[in-house]
Amino acid sequence: MVDLAAAWSEFAPYLVPVVIVVLTIVIAWLVQLILGRLMRQSTPQMAGSARRLGVVVVALIGGTLALQAVGVNPTVLLLVIGLLGVTIIVALREPLSNYGAKYFSDIYTPFKVGDTILVQGVSGKVIEINAMTTVLLSDSDQLISVPNVAMIRDVVINTSPQAWKELSVPVSIGSAVDLPAFESALLKSLGKLRARLDPRFPPVLTTKSRTPQATDLILTLMLRHPEDRDALTLEVNKRLAELLERMRGLRH
Amino acid sequence: MAPVSLCINTQTPLVQYLVPPDGDRLDPVSRNPSDLATLREGVDFRFSPGGVTRMVYPLVRRLLEEKFVHEAHWVALNPHAPPTVRLGAMTLHNVTLESDRMAGYGRVKEAIWGRIHEIDATEHHDDLFWTEAFSEYAYYNRRTAELIRALDEQHDFDVFYVHDFQQMAVGHMLGTLKPKVFRWHIPFDLATIPETWRALLTTYLDSYDVIVVSSAKYAESLAALHPKAKVLHLYPYLDPTDYSRPPRTTVAATAARLGIGSRDEVALLVGRMDPIKGQDLAIAALARVAGEFPSLKLVLVGNGSFSGSRAGLGLSKSAAWRAHLEEQVAQLGLGDRVVFTGHLPQADLDGLYERCRFTILPSLREGFGLVAVESWLHGKPAIVTQRAGVAELIRDGVNGLLFDPDDPADLPRQIRALMDERSGPLRARLARNGRAASKKCSLAAAEKAEREMLAEVTEA
Repeated sequence: MVDLAAAWSEFAPYLVPVVIVVLTIVIAWLVQLILGRLMRQSTPQMAGSARRLGVVVVALIGGTLALQAVGVNPTVLLLVIGLLGVTIIVALREPLSNYGAKYFSDIYTPFKVGDTILVQGVSGKVIEINAMTTVLLSDSDQLISVPNVAMIRDVVINTSPQAWKELSVPVSIGSAVDLPAFESALLKSLGKLRARLDPRFPPVLTTKSRTPQATDLILTLMLRHPEDRDALTLEVNKRLAELLERMRGLRH
Repeated sequence: MAPVSLCINTQTPLVQYLVPPDGDRLDPVSRNPSDLATLREGVDFRFSPGGVTRMVYPLVRRLLEEKFVHEAHWVALNPHAPPTVRLGAMTLHNVTLESDRMAGYGRVKEAIWGRIHEIDATEHHDDLFWTEAFSEYAYYNRRTAELIRALDEQHDFDVFYVHDFQQMAVGHMLGTLKPKVFRWHIPFDLATIPETWRALLTTYLDSYDVIVVSSAKYAESLAALHPKAKVLHLYPYLDPTDYSRPPRTTVAATAARLGIGSRDEVALLVGRMDPIKGQDLAIAALARVAGEFPSLKLVLVGNGSFSGSRAGLGLSKSAAWRAHLEEQVAQLGLGDRVVFTGHLPQADLDGLYERCRFTILPSLREGFGLVAVESWLHGKPAIVTQRAGVAELIRDGVNGLLFDPDDPADLPRQIRALMDERSGPLRARLARNGRAASKKCSLAAAEKAEREMLAEVTEA
């Protein structure tokens, strides 16, 4: 006959950590859902990053508590992780600042590949924006590499014609979302904002890259009035988020 | 150079099914493509009438035969067909579209077509690219581009050849750096294109490496839009070997079946039932000369396009236009002088070309007008509207007769010239010189130009 008391006493020490892990998963899921809803008016990248950050924070807290519950002192572990983090940040300060600047310049800097810009006294056509630098091609065929951090620290002038009009919104859609249906619904939705957009330039969705998991696109709109940029950015991102949510719902 | 892998995209499919795709002989869910060799032409399927079959297909076939192309995949809109069909060395891929999306797509393409052909210049089309219907046009283009992209992953194409304005966004939507060629088949006159269309049109056209148009005049007008692509003008073409003289018995049988008497003189007009084709101008011209030439009959061949047919997109306008023409004929008292044949098999059409005295191309506007070339290949004089691309090849009175469709007296004048009992030498000269002019529209000439163009873009 099975000795229930013995079995329970053997299992009991693991019950609390298991419950903590399960709760951590549930809370992480809830946090990313709530953050996604709270940030629906932000760009898809910002919302995605916030969701991921939320999940990582919850996972770290949950993991620490679970370790504590099984009797492991997490202090040393946390100290090691902390020191490792500081070391990496110090060692990779410059690349990380450029990488971070790239992240923010993707969202906020008003230029794109193909535009002509003036930054730190140099001017050229943007031919590449990589993780570290923005590469310009000057009028005299010189390649100029500008660290991305300059794009958020210094004054950048976009000298392309009608650059003020252009609003480029990055869009990333999962491979399970039907791209033709998404584009069709997006164009219908953006038609409602027509009064705020230049009638000569209908919205255009351009494919930038594609992986088996996702397609990255750029939505290009042309403003009618420069002062509408902020409001339109918010409105377009809201519509994009709602549409993606609806289409993900359709898929399920 | 090494043989290339080619992907062609047209709206009109090469093959239309006369039986539903879920019929016994077709297998839409088969893992293997249905093979057209197992089906019967005229019973299970037919080749689409018009340029796709007469022009694009012979070119692709020739390029395959001569090993310039080693693999050809043809993507088209065909809601009533299995997804994939084998046709010899070619594979046909069919795009389907839900009926509600089809309606929106149809409205946009008709609006673009109407505006460019100057038959509907209403201002409400200025905001066409902002309408809900345009989202369906974009849907169709993106759906096509997605299919082509998936095929490209399997077959690694060397070049994409997209045909006509219905698919002009496909190149942009493909998002590939591989060479892309676009053939613009309809007229191109920048003056007819609204200011509000030009930016998007430019975005789409700039995604191609080469844009081919049907006349030097169109190329000049397109160049004014400053596209990034190289602009090339290349006359549409036919394979002259497809045009042989039919036996007298066939000609007589066709004529008898259509109620054409042995003493009747036939003016032949071949074109789909569409207001742009100007059949009403020909009927009005017949009314003016009918009393002078009691033996003259006008024979109208054609019905709806693929867009209008039930086996096609179901966007019919041909029935209404035919009813309008029949009413016009009745009002003018020409019931026994005008014959509506509808669509005819090629043998009957050849018989009519052989039987006719001359042909008329009265379109209000025509991208090119290959029927004039068909007329020349059959050795018949052609009276051609000044507003057809082919008019660029015609020297009035030398290899054809031109008329102004805005002048109601001009077409009757040219008909009189060919009906005159002393017109024999004129008709002989027009036929002889017309046949010579048709060489500029021959498959052999075009194949050389197409090969050079494809070689240039794939090797560049």
